[in-house]
Amino acid sequence: MTRLARIAAAVAVALAGAARAPAVPAAVAGDEVVVSAASSLTDLLREIAPDCERTTGVRVRLNLGGSNALARQIVNGAPADIFLSADAAQMDVVERAGLVEPGTRRDWLANQLAVIVRGSGIPVSGPRDLLDRRVRRIAVGDPAAVPSGVYARAYLERHQLWPVLQDRLVPFATVRGALAAVASGDADAGIVFATDARVATVRLAFVVPRDAGPRIVYPMALVRGRATPAARKVFDYLRSEAARAACERFGFIPLDGSRR
Amino acid sequence: MPVQIWEVTAFTIAVALAATLATSVPAVLLAWVLARRTFPGKALVETLASLPLVMPPVATGLLLLWAVGRRSAFGRALESAGIDVIFTWKAVVLAMAVMGFPLLVRTARAGFEQVNRRYEAMAATLGASPSRIFLTVSLPLASRSVVAGALLAFSRALGEFGATVMVAGSIPGRTLTLPVAIYSLAETGHDRAAGQLMLVSVAIAFAAVAAANRLQSSGR
Repeated sequence: MTRLARIAAAVAVALAGAARAPAVPAAVAGDEVVVSAASSLTDLLREIAPDCERTTGVRVRLNLGGSNALARQIVNGAPADIFLSADAAQMDVVERAGLVEPGTRRDWLANQLAVIVRGSGIPVSGPRDLLDRRVRRIAVGDPAAVPSGVYARAYLERHQLWPVLQDRLVPFATVRGALAAVASGDADAGIVFATDARVATVRLAFVVPRDAGPRIVYPMALVRGRATPAARKVFDYLRSEAARAACERFGFIPLDGSRR
Repeated sequence: MPVQIWEVTAFTIAVALAATLATSVPAVLLAWVLARRTFPGKALVETLASLPLVMPPVATGLLLLWAVGRRSAFGRALESAGIDVIFTWKAVVLAMAVMGFPLLVRTARAGFEQVNRRYEAMAATLGASPSRIFLTVSLPLASRSVVAGALLAFSRALGEFGATVMVAGSIPGRTLTLPVAIYSLAETGHDRAAGQLMLVSVAIAFAAVAAANRLQSSGR
């Protein structure tokens, strides 16, 4: 008992000490940058991260998730340095909280929606084919906030399909959750980004033409108060020629980056 | 208002009740068997029956997803029989039932073990069949433990999150339960609605604890 108490006291003291000491020594704190990025950027960023680290000499940590969740994290004080959102609305959330480093917000990439179906053949080649009764479950990002879901809703509304198909939607916390549900066959169809459709074993039914769907823009910004030289280096790398080429390889459309 | 508070609350209570009822008969029978019988492999059965209690709920959820999803032969058989489980309320009940099962088994078993075997033996000498002994002697004498176990399983079901999101998702009006709604409301920036649902859960928890206490004191 007393021995246990002593051990417990020792652990408590050690924890208290650890809590007081800064997690990273100040001298190297700037050498690591946390990039909070939309889950649709997963494969792209994993691909370019090593080159980014070589070029900039900065260690990159990726925090991937639904842009809405990432925005909430930042607003609640999460230590993110760069925010890459899949829609303007979530960047607006961060900006309204006064957490975008002034002058750093840029429109980084454009994307398109795609409709995917699970392996076995339900013929889907246009939005109205989703009305087919065999399409019982349509996986989407949560239309309440997850960017891919918000875009999917806008797309369905534009084709007057939202009221009918709303009941068949299965919302996910990230676009990748929706993608996985179609890949596993648990959902019959899904609405994801065209870039997501390339990286999974799903059947691409069709890519929504740019003029038939919502305008899809990925804004980028440095988080206020965290615009260290290291963070700026990574931020600039993301807009470099090398990064743009990689974005194009993954199906994204690099924007000129100067406008908002 | 992004979700209907009362709709979510009523749905959660209804599915939690359904899960508790669905699990009660097999759980109580298993508890009785574990308390009264010895058989080869008993230790294995005991361990399996406790697994959902100690496994991470999402891991249990993944197992269930694989079991009833379209990737499994069983899931496809269900589907061709016209029974949709995954992403429906049935999946919610399934997740809740599996998670509550060990709590009911363990509590009921402890109750059966406290029943004096002499009463059961006396009933047997008077010619009662084993099932009659169970229904008229063992079960009534262990009833407080069984009800307490059911209450525990029900409370566990009300709070189920990990397994539920895996097999049932979070479809408003279809599979959205209180804990999942709180999570997705907070994630989507609806802090006010999330807070309201949090208050509702506090109220339900309060009522459940009060009921359990009352149950215990009235028995003494």
